Amino acid sequence: MSQETVTFSINEKEITVPKGTTVMEAAKKNDVYIPHFCWHPGLPIAGVCRFCMVKVDGRPKMEIACNLQATPGMKVFTETPEVKDTHKWALEFHLVNHPLDCPICDQAGECRLQDYYMEVGKYKSQMERPKVLKPKALPIGDDLVLDTERCILCDRCVRFEEKITKTGALGIFNRGDRAVVGTYPDKKIHHNYQTNLVDICPVGAFTSKDFRFKQRVWFLKDKPSVCPGCSTGCSVDVYAKPEVRSYFRVKPRESDVNGHWMCDVGRKTYRHMNQEERLRSGIVTGADGFRTRSRFDEAASVLAAKLLEADTNDIALLVSPQYTCEEYNAFFSFFVGKLGVKKVFQWREPTEKIETFDGILYRGDHNPNTRGLADALKKHGLPSDVKNGFDDLARSGAKLVIALVPEIGFQYPSLNAQISKLEELSFVSLWTINGTVFSHKGIAHAIPMKGYAEKKGTFVNFEGKVRELAHAFPAGSDDARDVVEVVAVLSEVLSHSN
Amino acid sequence: MTQEKPKILLKFEGMPNGRALKTYMAHSGYEALKKAFAMSKEDVINEVKASGLRGRGGAGFPTGLKWSFVPKDMPGPKYLICNNDESEPGTFKDRHLCSVSPHMVIEGMIIAGFAIGANKGYIYTRYEFQEEIGQVEAAIKEAYEAGLLGKNILGSGFDFDLDHYTGAGAYICGEETGLISSLEGKKGQPKLKPPFPAVSGYLARPTIVNNTETLANVPHIILNGAKEFRKYGSEKSPGTKLFSISGALGKPGVYEVPLGYSWNRFLNEEAGGLLPGLSLKALIPGGASAPLLTPKECEDLTLDYECMAAKGTMLGSGAIMVIDNRQSMVELLRCTIEFFAHESCGQCTPCREGTGWLNNIMVGINDREVGADSVDRLHLVSKQMGGRTICALSDACAMPVMSYVQKFSDELKAHLAKG
Repeated sequence: MSQETVTFSINEKEITVPKGTTVMEAAKKNDVYIPHFCWHPGLPIAGVCRFCMVKVDGRPKMEIACNLQATPGMKVFTETPEVKDTHKWALEFHLVNHPLDCPICDQAGECRLQDYYMEVGKYKSQMERPKVLKPKALPIGDDLVLDTERCILCDRCVRFEEKITKTGALGIFNRGDRAVVGTYPDKKIHHNYQTNLVDICPVGAFTSKDFRFKQRVWFLKDKPSVCPGCSTGCSVDVYAKPEVRSYFRVKPRESDVNGHWMCDVGRKTYRHMNQEERLRSGIVTGADGFRTRSRFDEAASVLAAKLLEADTNDIALLVSPQYTCEEYNAFFSFFVGKLGVKKVFQWREPTEKIETFDGILYRGDHNPNTRGLADALKKHGLPSDVKNGFDDLARSGAKLVIALVPEIGFQYPSLNAQISKLEELSFVSLWTINGTVFSHKGIAHAIPMKGYAEKKGTFVNFEGKVRELAHAFPAGSDDARDVVEVVAVLSEVLSHSN
Repeated sequence: MTQEKPKILLKFEGMPNGRALKTYMAHSGYEALKKAFAMSKEDVINEVKASGLRGRGGAGFPTGLKWSFVPKDMPGPKYLICNNDESEPGTFKDRHLCSVSPHMVIEGMIIAGFAIGANKGYIYTRYEFQEEIGQVEAAIKEAYEAGLLGKNILGSGFDFDLDHYTGAGAYICGEETGLISSLEGKKGQPKLKPPFPAVSGYLARPTIVNNTETLANVPHIILNGAKEFRKYGSEKSPGTKLFSISGALGKPGVYEVPLGYSWNRFLNEEAGGLLPGLSLKALIPGGASAPLLTPKECEDLTLDYECMAAKGTMLGSGAIMVIDNRQSMVELLRCTIEFFAHESCGQCTPCREGTGWLNNIMVGINDREVGADSVDRLHLVSKQMGGRTICALSDACAMPVMSYVQKFSDELKAHLAKG
């Protein structure tokens, strides 16, 4: 069925859009920028900031683009002197009571108010008398701090709580220039989507406890990736300072999977890649039984030697669903295809409830690639059902176990208990980014892995959509590798030995 | 144009037991309703259209036209709301009307409900009208008992239920979509338009909001015809209108006169003229949000929509405030701005920050804490507040401020210079 369309013009350029499209949406699609604060593509229209004023030919008053449906032949102008003057004044009104504390505000550098000031403002304040003072530094949620003085009352956060989380946790209280955003008395925000409020806040009213005061945003680099926190596979941008190998935050990137949002659990998936938490070097055990840290090459050759000695029937693989399809393919091609290993077990969290779903984004399967792993297992003729394989592994009598440890350790409450179980087996090689493995004295061997933001590849999400990890930061440690790289080295060493 | 002084809306004023249903019935009360039930819905709307009745709440929008915006064949409930939340400073005509003739309002509502296909109506009365609230509720009870409200009214097959509701005293709840928000139990703030209430109003259903006085005119129009209604007033402003006049006058109060009535005659005959020894300094012709007029501008003034518009002000709700020569324009302007800054709901930025900013400047002027350019800044800021917001409160603040600055800037500047 063909959709009805409307042809109209913006700045005398003809545009055809589906009927019902607003001028704001049409402009956005056609790269015409109409400044705005309260409009957000993921939220209902509020029409309160009155910033997106445009001139429509033949109409006496200017109109807001966000609530203006394009009609045939409509002529919209976004850059006439009258419109620009309106924008300048709209900015001035927004700044009348704003504290202008940019130098100490976390939003500086990604603040629309600041951006517009540089674009259309740059004037001196006309205020001769004190501004309206409002409450500051309010610990309004588990991860949120609210500054109601910086707030421009755009209502985005209120609409988010109404329409997305459906908690109605926020409201605007009082009236006129005394109006403040806040929660109801003695209530705080506790849900799993809080930090979206920080993202959608166009100014520095909402800041994240996790991120505030840690880093100026202009020092950060961001790369698109996919959240590994659950099987939804939200598109994200990971923010890091690669020169000091530090990660700072994860933010959602718009996609058809997650819309504009992501959950707070997913936001935590950067910490394990930082120096203090990750396994930066390999672990090897000498002939004297002492464990030492090692470079990657040494750890790889120790493992290669073990593989050469071992009977294929004594080798077992323990695989978690937190690696990319490309890694599984390389891993199984080598161990199953080439070496003929038959004992393959899945590493699952025993307490997981994979069928649960919060109705927004977060799923009970806390692995980004359960589907990808199942596909890879099937492809290599192995049983692919989701099953925690720890007991089977113990019974299998394997003497050499190679384990792809779950990357996101906090999603595996039993992780340390499970690693302890592995300590009882004869020789276990853990491939992991998790720094805590070193404290497990029985673990004789480990290879340090790259984090998800440091590799390219794909996950397959719960509904079978391929999610691409499109860009990679340099590895957070010199010895970190992804599975493809480790397998390549092992394969190389083994082929020379034959 | 006639200068007769008919009593239509205030027919029952001063009549013994005039508020009672019995009295109302004795003077052809609810006859218009019977007549309406014998007409088609379209004919009722057309009769009101032909009468040229304009909304008496302030904006003066043609009532029949407003009714015709309600989608006719849309299934599901529709609503009629009587806006009795009279809160424009200086206005007290609806208070008087609903006290004198509550049944005239109720009859008007049933007819309007019938015409637009609404089976449920609300009267939304200003909280402070405690005495009138009781009177309106008593009248609703009487009407229910007489079978004039409820199911199958007068055997017509038409059902109409009427409830009474009071706000919490906010000026903004007199704005029709602010009123609807309040009635819905939400914070009283205006809604973004489009969609307009006639399509999506109360509970997102088609809703008509009419002023009390507007609805009270309906029985007269239906019973006696549009032509009879047009006997008074002018071509574009037909009918009679209530004016509430206040100030240092011989007889301040509420008066009914035909639209187009001479201002000078109204001042001197109805309102009893200025008190001895006083002279006119300024006139606020339509509530605090109307730009004020100088005595010279008042010389040939007539009380109708067109004349007011020609003089750059508005008839508004018919709230006339007479400012005599003793009054300080600084104090008057300070009070006016303070009112709007207090009553702005705060959702649109130009209004929220603009009214507050004006108040801030005005306090500075009053206390002589700011420079002489502040008077001009009042005008500059006001100019940017007009026509930019969801509702008209921003304009309602900006328009009078600009008129004060234009017409009394010398007095404002002289006040600052004294410091």
